[in-house]
Amino acid sequence: MRIFPIRSKSSKLAATVLATALGTNSYGAQFNTDIQPILQNYCVNCHGGDKVKGEVDFTLIKNEADVLSHFELWETVADRLAFEEMPPEEEEQRPSVEEAQLIINWYDDRFVKSVEARPGEFRVRRLSAPEYRNTLRSLFGFDLEVAIIAAEQTKIEKSLVLKLLPTDPPGQSGFINDTNAARLSSNTWEQYAYIADRALDELFSIKRLTQLEALIGKEPPLDFSPTDLSQVQAKSILRTFSTLAHRRPVPRKTTNKILRALKGLKGQDLVDATKMEMKVLLVSPQFLYRGHLMDSKTDKQQSVDEYELAERLSYFLWEDMPDDELYKVARTGRLNYTDEMATQVDRMLASPKARSLAESFGGQWLGLADIDQAATDVTAREALRSQPVDFLNYLFTENRPVIELIDSDTAFTNYITASFYPKDRAQLTKYIKYSGIVRELVPNQRIILEHTESRGGILTIPGILAMNRGPILRGTWMLRRIMGERLGEPPADVPAIQARMPDEALSFRQRFEQHRSDSTCARCHDRIDPFGFAMQAYDDSGAYKLDSNYKPPRRKLEHEDSPELIDTSGRFPSGESFKDFDDLKEILLGPKRQDIIRNAVEQVMAYALCRKLEEFDRPTIDAITEKIDESNGSWRDVFLEVALSLPFQETYFSQSPRNKS
Amino acid sequence: MTRNWKINRRTFLRGLAGAVLPLPFLNLMEAKTSNIIGGTSDPDSAPLRFLTLFKPNGVHPPSWNINGGKEFDFRMSPLMAPFSKHKDDLLILDNMGDFGFSSHANSTRRFLAGHHENKDSASVDQLIADKISKGTAHRSLELTTEGLFTGQFGCSYISYDKEGGAIPRESDPQLIFDRLFRNPMSDPNQRAAMTSVLDRVNDDAKTLARKAGREDRQTLDEYLTVVRETERRIENLDQANGNSQLDFSNFQRPGPSSNLNEQVETMIDIIALALWTDSTRCITYMLGNSNSRIIFDFLGIKEQHHYLSHFFRNFSRTNLESLLKISLWHMEKFDYLLTKLKSYRDQNGSLLDNSIVLFGSGMGHSDNHTAQRIPIILAGNGGGRIKTGRYIRYSKNQELSSLHLSLLKTFGIETDSYSASSSALPGLDGGHFNEHRERPFNSWVKHQAGVITAQGRLRMSDNLDEARVFYLDIEGLQSVRIEIEFRDFHDFNLAYHVGTPITLTGNGSTVGSQLLIAKITDLKSLFGNSKPGSKNG
Repeated sequence: MRIFPIRSKSSKLAATVLATALGTNSYGAQFNTDIQPILQNYCVNCHGGDKVKGEVDFTLIKNEADVLSHFELWETVADRLAFEEMPPEEEEQRPSVEEAQLIINWYDDRFVKSVEARPGEFRVRRLSAPEYRNTLRSLFGFDLEVAIIAAEQTKIEKSLVLKLLPTDPPGQSGFINDTNAARLSSNTWEQYAYIADRALDELFSIKRLTQLEALIGKEPPLDFSPTDLSQVQAKSILRTFSTLAHRRPVPRKTTNKILRALKGLKGQDLVDATKMEMKVLLVSPQFLYRGHLMDSKTDKQQSVDEYELAERLSYFLWEDMPDDELYKVARTGRLNYTDEMATQVDRMLASPKARSLAESFGGQWLGLADIDQAATDVTAREALRSQPVDFLNYLFTENRPVIELIDSDTAFTNYITASFYPKDRAQLTKYIKYSGIVRELVPNQRIILEHTESRGGILTIPGILAMNRGPILRGTWMLRRIMGERLGEPPADVPAIQARMPDEALSFRQRFEQHRSDSTCARCHDRIDPFGFAMQAYDDSGAYKLDSNYKPPRRKLEHEDSPELIDTSGRFPSGESFKDFDDLKEILLGPKRQDIIRNAVEQVMAYALCRKLEEFDRPTIDAITEKIDESNGSWRDVFLEVALSLPFQETYFSQSPRNKS
Repeated sequence: MTRNWKINRRTFLRGLAGAVLPLPFLNLMEAKTSNIIGGTSDPDSAPLRFLTLFKPNGVHPPSWNINGGKEFDFRMSPLMAPFSKHKDDLLILDNMGDFGFSSHANSTRRFLAGHHENKDSASVDQLIADKISKGTAHRSLELTTEGLFTGQFGCSYISYDKEGGAIPRESDPQLIFDRLFRNPMSDPNQRAAMTSVLDRVNDDAKTLARKAGREDRQTLDEYLTVVRETERRIENLDQANGNSQLDFSNFQRPGPSSNLNEQVETMIDIIALALWTDSTRCITYMLGNSNSRIIFDFLGIKEQHHYLSHFFRNFSRTNLESLLKISLWHMEKFDYLLTKLKSYRDQNGSLLDNSIVLFGSGMGHSDNHTAQRIPIILAGNGGGRIKTGRYIRYSKNQELSSLHLSLLKTFGIETDSYSASSSALPGLDGGHFNEHRERPFNSWVKHQAGVITAQGRLRMSDNLDEARVFYLDIEGLQSVRIEIEFRDFHDFNLAYHVGTPITLTGNGSTVGSQLLIAKITDLKSLFGNSKPGSKNG
């Protein structure tokens, strides 16, 4: 019987099973004395020095610290060895079964069994641009918008903040909320100062009386003017505002220092001084960064304080600062209780703010920005892009099982994308386009897929299919984003696939097979291609070619086959074979289900922690994955488990300067 | 040395809606101003500016074209009515453009880059900016009204950099105003306020640093570095601009616009102010993407502009009326710009006198996209470099790039060729050019037993409120009025023949002294195709 084909992410199991079966033991194996010689003999020829295939270079790993910092590499190494994918078959020099097992076991000891969960080192982190925008909105009660009137179907960044701030690059975690690497520049700081001015000018204008009143609060007297405040009112504004901007209670000493600036002033002078204090708060490090003010920073592992925890939770689920309710719970000190955390997670997921999970987390995880390239027309593009976002939002906020990512009977569509759902489009309210309108944006409607077998789940959403053109890009995307596998970049010197001869009856697949027969290519393509070719029944626009009324696109690219040449069958290196996408789906929902769940958990965790996952996160990931897999848990369960997990709830500080090795 | 360019304060206050602050006028250009043309530096002459106003979606030719006009003797067309009062400041160019049919994208690129395949040199505005904007705070401004059509990228830009890449445009008047006049770094008062903010956050950061962990400290160091950098920049700017006396804080920031009209007028206000303060000398402004889909709801129109601009294929009386309303609005904005520029006193005249304004579109006929007889007008005499008050209809269709070459030369840029052209457009400065000659023909009219036959040049009514009314001009006699049903208008393709001589037969009568044709029975073109509609096109 074939060993349960769990891939890399679950090689804990695979490795253990193998180890037991072979009866070898590696306890006590050391990298320098035991592992390095094996690598030297069989691996560095292709993975070291001058020749570095797949971006793997073993010669860079010299000591224990290097071993640790490359922890992800060992997972891949153990995995490739366990499934005998490396070294390649045609290599004459191959490690013995015992040698391979020694490495697998060493990996298992070193990175699986012996690893204890611990939190990451505490890091202050600058707010990402969307976090900053949302936080400002919550502080002021209004959005800063660009003051233009323009046609609806053009591309306009409405948010002044997003327009002015530089686009955050994704950090090591792959998410832009990991801003540790994005340095603050003098220009960005100036933009913060400018945005603060704009927001304050608007707050103290006739237009925003309600919002200003909210900051004044219940303090008498109740009548006020944004150009003529009383001392009591001005003080009240600053008290409320500084608490909000610090995102925690402010020590009396700090408050007094802020309030001193108002002394003896009245009229416009008082208003100006109030605005000035607010501006200073808005460009200060304690506002622009998260974490400067956390309590009890001693040189050890500890729980984060209640306000830090509230902040972590709200930036995780909302990409925004906590609201009053969350602060109230934080004050009671009960937020880290399981039941209270569950209540808050449920409450927050029910809020419209939780859509940020689909837009930011989901969008960055799955690379949805690439959909922009799939359609040129703004309305068509927005329609394609909104589908996966609406779908993810539904999964995330309506307590849907994690695995419904792959298989679901719910879809979101509007009149522009309706043609992808020919048999179910009748569920849509009829769209009436008025004469004189060329294109317009229309929100999606939820439909139930009753008769559309070709759709359901994220993989068959048109925009997803259209943004990855051809089987290779589709396969790579699925392997990386859905299965969570790490793939190297293709070598730069790959020749182009031979063009289709005019009277040739070979399908793209057949021509591609000829092309990739080289074993170095096969290494990765054995893993990529099954996923990619299973989707060959969908054309570049995402349309299903086997539909009775399918119309092929006018311009056919090389990889597009006519329906009779389509071959969607495939076989994984791990042994499972399938004949079409439906079959593949069964494999994804069965044997590969845990890999998908594990990847989802890892992605959520990296997003929630705003950092790259480390080897000491492994036990937490394992535990949550197992729990979700067994209980067929929902996305909400994953969010809650992550919020309750040790790396989320705890941290450690180090006062000693980092030693550069 | 005479200085008589005091600002007309009332004009200024009227200009920026709601502005109430006094303007302490200073000779802001005293130090900076030098005539950059030809390398002379005469402090008394004003700087030369270049402005472009782009009109989207071509025109409805029957209402735009001037027909039968001469250089000094011409009648402005119905669409030109809104700015006809500036006739003396205009040089109207005709027979511009030499392409039969043209896509929106191609015609957009040609508007300032000469040719649609000119993708490796800067558009003419940018070359001019390089020449004239030395020493101004902003080299140039690229402005627009409409957002980006991502699928039709080429339709969204008229300004291109020297690699031929599109230059981003800005459409928010408040942002432009702030960039010009509220940049904390450009204004001494603002800089002072900024310094005290910096002092305060510096203190905060240092307090935090005292109890920070190592990761925090690193971040705070980065933050403090930025604070120091900004402080240094402020000091440098203070030193560099120590003697600039103009206090921008007296300019009132415009409020948000409630409709497109306000938005565009506000932008034009800012354009004038930017030129007058010599913040920049080169601005391009698009009234929309070249295939603009703006809905002019404030004019009571519900259809998108591009849809309406295809006035023939989407013909209906109301559609045409809507299109003309939109076109008139564009013309009114051109008028607004000219009026505004005239309202500012500059050295030796108004701002307009020291500017060259290029107004126009990328294509002529908006329905069949012909890039001939493209609307192009130059306004302002550029300090005497352009001879205005004229209408030039060239004998042959001219490449737009020859106009660009002329402009480059006018701005003192030495070059033999630009884009597709190596010969400049003649006549802009009043010199010789080959004028279009009309073929002579006789005009006459007969009226017998309810049948009117007349020969003359067909034109639309000057009154665009009656877009359905046409006239046949008869020399020495009152024009024959043509007021027909849609079927006739369509069957005889009347719009096609506007501007040309025809022989028309129809049923009609005399109303007062006015001959009126109410039904057409025959139409013959004197020199052209009588039934152009029968061919596919």
